[in-house]
Amino acid sequence: MKTDLVLLLPEIIIALGVVFALIAEMLRSSRLALLISLAALLLATGFTAPMLGLDTSVFDGTYRIDTLSIWAKLILLPATVLSILMVRSEMGGCDREGAIYVLLVLVTLASVLLSGAADTMILVLGVLLSGLGSFALVAYPRNDAATEASMKFFVFASVTGAIMVFGLSYWFAGTGSTLFDDLSLLSDKPVLAVLGLLAVLVGLGYKSALVPFHFWAPDAYDGAPISIAAYMSVVPKIGAIFALAQVVSDLPPSSGWPLAVSILAVLSMTYGYLAALVQSNIVRLLAYSSIAQAGYFLLAIVGIGTSKLAIPALIVFAAAYVAMNLGAFAIIMRTGRMLRDLSGIGRNHIALGVAMVIFLLSLVGIPPLAGFVGKFLLFAAAIESGFIWLVVIAILNSVLSLAVYLRMIVPMYQQNDQGLELKFMPLITTVWLLSLIFTIGIGLAAQALLGRIG
Amino acid sequence: MLPIVSMTIFLPLVGALLVMAMHKLPAKSVHAIGIAISGLTLIGTILMWMRGIEATGFSQVEEIDWMPTIGAAYRVGVDGISMPLVLLSSLLFFLTFIFSSKVKDRPHAFVILMLLLETAALGTFTALDAILFYVFFEVSLVSMYFMIAGWGHEDRQRAALMFFIYTLLGSLPLLLAILGLYLGSDPNTFDMRQWIENPPLSGIAAMLALIAMLFTFAVKTPVFPLHTWLPAAHVQAPAAGSVILAGVMLKFGTYGLVRFSLQMTPDAFREAGQVVLAFGVVAAIYGAFAALAQRDLKRMIAYTSVNHMGYVVIGVAIAALTLDPTLRAIALDGSVLQMVSHGLVTGALFFLVGMLQDRTKTRDMDQFGGLLNVTPILGWSFILAAFASLGLPGLAHFPAEFQIFLATLRVEPWAIIAILGIVITAGLYLQAISKVFLGATNEKWIGMKDLNFREVVTLAPLLLLIIAVGIAPFWILEMIHNTTAALQF
Repeated sequence: MKTDLVLLLPEIIIALGVVFALIAEMLRSSRLALLISLAALLLATGFTAPMLGLDTSVFDGTYRIDTLSIWAKLILLPATVLSILMVRSEMGGCDREGAIYVLLVLVTLASVLLSGAADTMILVLGVLLSGLGSFALVAYPRNDAATEASMKFFVFASVTGAIMVFGLSYWFAGTGSTLFDDLSLLSDKPVLAVLGLLAVLVGLGYKSALVPFHFWAPDAYDGAPISIAAYMSVVPKIGAIFALAQVVSDLPPSSGWPLAVSILAVLSMTYGYLAALVQSNIVRLLAYSSIAQAGYFLLAIVGIGTSKLAIPALIVFAAAYVAMNLGAFAIIMRTGRMLRDLSGIGRNHIALGVAMVIFLLSLVGIPPLAGFVGKFLLFAAAIESGFIWLVVIAILNSVLSLAVYLRMIVPMYQQNDQGLELKFMPLITTVWLLSLIFTIGIGLAAQALLGRIG
Repeated sequence: MLPIVSMTIFLPLVGALLVMAMHKLPAKSVHAIGIAISGLTLIGTILMWMRGIEATGFSQVEEIDWMPTIGAAYRVGVDGISMPLVLLSSLLFFLTFIFSSKVKDRPHAFVILMLLLETAALGTFTALDAILFYVFFEVSLVSMYFMIAGWGHEDRQRAALMFFIYTLLGSLPLLLAILGLYLGSDPNTFDMRQWIENPPLSGIAAMLALIAMLFTFAVKTPVFPLHTWLPAAHVQAPAAGSVILAGVMLKFGTYGLVRFSLQMTPDAFREAGQVVLAFGVVAAIYGAFAALAQRDLKRMIAYTSVNHMGYVVIGVAIAALTLDPTLRAIALDGSVLQMVSHGLVTGALFFLVGMLQDRTKTRDMDQFGGLLNVTPILGWSFILAAFASLGLPGLAHFPAEFQIFLATLRVEPWAIIAILGIVITAGLYLQAISKVFLGATNEKWIGMKDLNFREVVTLAPLLLLIIAVGIAPFWILEMIHNTTAALQF
């Protein structure tokens, strides 16, 4: 029990951070709430780093401290720090500003819990907790668009959450246990295994915005402030995908999960990019792009258990995705929501333009950027597990994605004589510079990650 | 030992960073930096050449761990197949910088992109690690996209988009093949030398990998019917872009055909050899006929590239089909030399059309007439390059095509019908010369200035080399032959 608490130190620090930040906000000091949130996140990251290499579980095997969950913390906590900087820049000074930080850290805590889940109850807890925080975040501006988005999000989440809890009861019926470790008992009960699997796919598919459970995402991202959209497209999504990896690593293949996951991958990649192709609102475009990118994550999930590259691929791509996606959103915060707002940016703001091009090309998967290394490992994992057809479809979608992202790059280099005066925003510049360093750095020095994943 | 190969590859990148850091510099100094850096790079490649190439395997190999967990490393080196292409690339880039020193539109970005492209090109030819190769291969694509989109002619956006999407679609199957070869190798590695020594795949897996690679390199080369991006990209690209595209980047396709398809999946290539040969023959003849139908000079030269690269594909296919090492060496010698000759000749022709277009703002053959009287240096230069392009003995293409056809006759006599292409190109070049440079002088162009010093400096090395390779090909063939004669498969 004592060692359990030591192993949970990062989670405990985050939880305490939430509590103290909330107290600070009650005392009407949003600056203090900001500082507490950032300090808790950074401190928790610092305490996670020495745990690298551990592979154990706590609380009677219900929560895992393994490669995936440790890396989830190392990726998601800094991602939340960057998101908070963006929020501060966009919403600084608004009413109840501190509460946003509290909610952000709470959702991050839920995502971290998901990534280490080893028990169906933790899974349900993570999905619900992350949902509750997210509704409030989306509705924060209290205008019509945000309210509508949050309402849709809420209804969708309630239904999928209910389906998930209902379906998971079949697993409990089959195994008599809520632990993932006991899922192997389902190998001779295929019907129960499949029913539970479908429920999990619905619940986590909604959380990670996979087609066909994605409908809420574009509306929610567009209704929410841009910085919140950036956060939602990264942290809860990765948490849910890692949770899926935890589930399937114990699920017997007889339930057909590799095929089910690969079908979701095909749907998400293809539909995500096709829908992105017709957007004129960049936030919606990036929302659909993040749906497609979630599909790419699944290429590693199908390799879990059969390819030794699956876990490294998930982690490297998650880190790459955080850097390039947050970077792209940060730049959108400076330019504006619509495609036409990008016109001439590349000519008038050279550094900003180059950075945006790098983020977008990395999202396509052009070497030597982070997105390339990530996708490369994903493809390798899927091929090693015999899913060549899936990789072929992923490759075709990568070509499609080029068309999607070029729609943003092309206007950036058009002539635009209206002097584009962009306000200098120091926090946003910090975010995109850091993202840029990681987008290039992970591409060139992926070994720094790979060598530690083991 | 100085790591000359790496220093040469990354010198242009350093130059690009230098220009990026000094964005206040006037245009003239920026172009001077470009010329100086590419000149030093040229010297670097000449030093590599002087260090010599061993007969077997790769020479001057430089290796640093990169991603040891997955068996990828930074590995570069040269052999008799890549060395001539490296020399050709650095020369063409140097001349392009001289020629482009007139560019006034955003000179910083132009020079940065060209330098980036040079690093990518040299890296592609010298990479000995498949991931590294792919990285350079794709970086070249991105730089060329921005080159066409930023400095091209009227319809540049569409052409650039088509180029990018087409070649990305083309290069992703290569990634698939690389992953297949990687997972097939034991222990898993991306070391191309290992893959060449012990081809990792066999049977159906090797055939699938070969098909994926052939698709990639057929788009890049380009081979009919995957060539449609080429005329569009060439016509819209600025002259500098066209020279690099035709002179250097098309060779990625044929170089990959030799390095990857032939050397890493030799047995599968032998089985599929007839099909590849047929594609080569069709490309050679189709390219010639399509060129014949053009009125736009640039488009015409672009199509003759399809024809000339078709001969390279024929040579490589013959090398795969034959079991006789002597014939294989002859076919490969011809193919590699053809790549070099095509770079020199087509480079010169695109420069010349660029110079003509700078003066007249048109590329339409029918708009010209009798220019030989007005601009004799330009006219005679064009005639020399055109004669080289149609394969006249004594000029660069002849020794290359001669060897390819020689081997073809011995191995697959039917494929000799590709020689028809030479007859047609002869016809079309004579027609172009007579329309543009002979006959009555079009009044519009009287008083047009002949080549200036900058343009003569750009062209002279190419024209001299065209003659030098034509008359005495052995100084370059020897290096190629040493390697091709020692190939084992």
